[in-house]
Amino acid sequence: MPKVKRSRKRPPEGWELIEPTLDELEAKLREAEADTHEGKRKVEALWPIFKIHHQRSRYVYELYFKRKAISRELYEYCLNEGYADRNLIAKWKKPGYESLCCLRCIQPRDTNFGTTCICRVPKSKLEVGKIVECVHCGCKGCSG
Amino acid sequence: MLKDSYGDECKVCLRPFTVFRWCPGARMRYKKTEICQACAQIKNVCQTCLLDLEYGLPVQVRDHGMNVKDNLPQSDVNKEYFLQNVDNQLASSGKTEPGGAVGKAQAPSDVLMRLARTTPYYKRNRPHVCSFWVKGECKRGEECPYRHEMPTDPTDPLSKQNLKDRYYGSNDPVADKMLKQVSEMPQLTAPEDQTITSLYVGGVEGDINEKDLRGHFYQFGEVNSIHLVPAQKCAFINFTSRHSAEQAASGSFNKLVLKGHRLKVLWGKGQGSSGAGGGGKTGERSLPPVPGLPAALPAFDPDPFNLHGAPPTDPKATPTPPRGSSNPPLLPPPLPPLGTATPGPHHPLLQVCALRDLRRPNIMSTLGSPPTYQWIINRGASD
Repeated sequence: MPKVKRSRKRPPEGWELIEPTLDELEAKLREAEADTHEGKRKVEALWPIFKIHHQRSRYVYELYFKRKAISRELYEYCLNEGYADRNLIAKWKKPGYESLCCLRCIQPRDTNFGTTCICRVPKSKLEVGKIVECVHCGCKGCSG
Repeated sequence: MLKDSYGDECKVCLRPFTVFRWCPGARMRYKKTEICQACAQIKNVCQTCLLDLEYGLPVQVRDHGMNVKDNLPQSDVNKEYFLQNVDNQLASSGKTEPGGAVGKAQAPSDVLMRLARTTPYYKRNRPHVCSFWVKGECKRGEECPYRHEMPTDPTDPLSKQNLKDRYYGSNDPVADKMLKQVSEMPQLTAPEDQTITSLYVGGVEGDINEKDLRGHFYQFGEVNSIHLVPAQKCAFINFTSRHSAEQAASGSFNKLVLKGHRLKVLWGKGQGSSGAGGGGKTGERSLPPVPGLPAALPAFDPDPFNLHGAPPTDPKATPTPPRGSSNPPLLPPPLPPLGTATPGPHHPLLQVCALRDLRRPNIMSTLGSPPTYQWIINRGASD
């Protein structure tokens, strides 16, 4: 699908400071999309996409909520323009979900027993030495 | 556990059936039912591992042990008709009884009991070997849920198993191996000498008394006498008839357990008259040592050159040795020089044995066997 053109609205103040990083992440995402599936398992194909998507949303989230480096307008602009995932960021604000990897991993309807993904199990609850890697996004544990 | 109605086709009859899938424990692989319930019930096997439900043995071994043979149809139309009948039968009889030929012939088998595994075998629940790792291409490293081990030798027949063969009980390498073990199990062969009616019982601990032994052995036939030798931890059971002794031997060999002790059962050693301490042969016990010995010799070898021939089986010849009647000239002269001139290892023993109680069948049999005597006689004659 071709990239949808941005709205004609002028970007708010400070956009030029974060634009190069966002463009870089955008380019990485396009590259991951075009990447070959050769030698990958079926479930592995989408892992890079999920990873870059998480990275990009995280960048915007940190700028606004943690470092408070951008204005409210610019944050809203990024969400509207699709540079960050509004729903994912909404989860990050909740306790226990501070570093959630993706929304698929907390979707109980997708699992056999109505539970969440293995990566949502805290390390302390797992048996010692067990290495997990979830099938949805390749997350190795996002629950502390 | 997951239930998937009509989730897969049965690997034997190819009809869809309800698949169950579960994880048997930590660090185990997921297991699922492989064949349908009807197919499993015909053979009385597990739907997953295809082993017998009662003994946990392969179908081929189970059928061999129970002497069961059912000819399941292999062609398509016959199979469908057969399965249809089986389905009806199972629906009417209730679903817990084993079907097929196994259900009809339920006889507990001693061989199966011995072959059956008594402890659970968790090794079969381990993950499969990682085929990528074997090729040297596994990139998952530590995360890989499969086993990073080299597979067993591919030339080993045990590595070539196949579900259908295991189900039908043909060409099953595991079963072949087990049946080979069965054939190599020690067998107790009855001695040719028909006069032997006594059994040796070893490993008789102090808390086993004559009553216990009689309590076990009287079921096979009338017991003439029982001699306990506590010092040697053994006993000798004398039966009145050969038939009951044979039955007792086959019925107790390798399976006699009294008061928690596993007892060893063997045939008594054959040596003619003494009959492994046969009841009350007092005349033999008080045999004078030196003159009695040469007298007994001719009875053993009436024909000294027939070394490999059958031992004398005439029951009447042995109990009453014709004292020095058949060939007296051979014996008295050679023996005195033997004891002095040739320091052979047998002479002291020979004399000791003559002095000994004849109830010791082991010693008597080694010394009393024809070749030993033959050797002495020949040496004595040459000297």
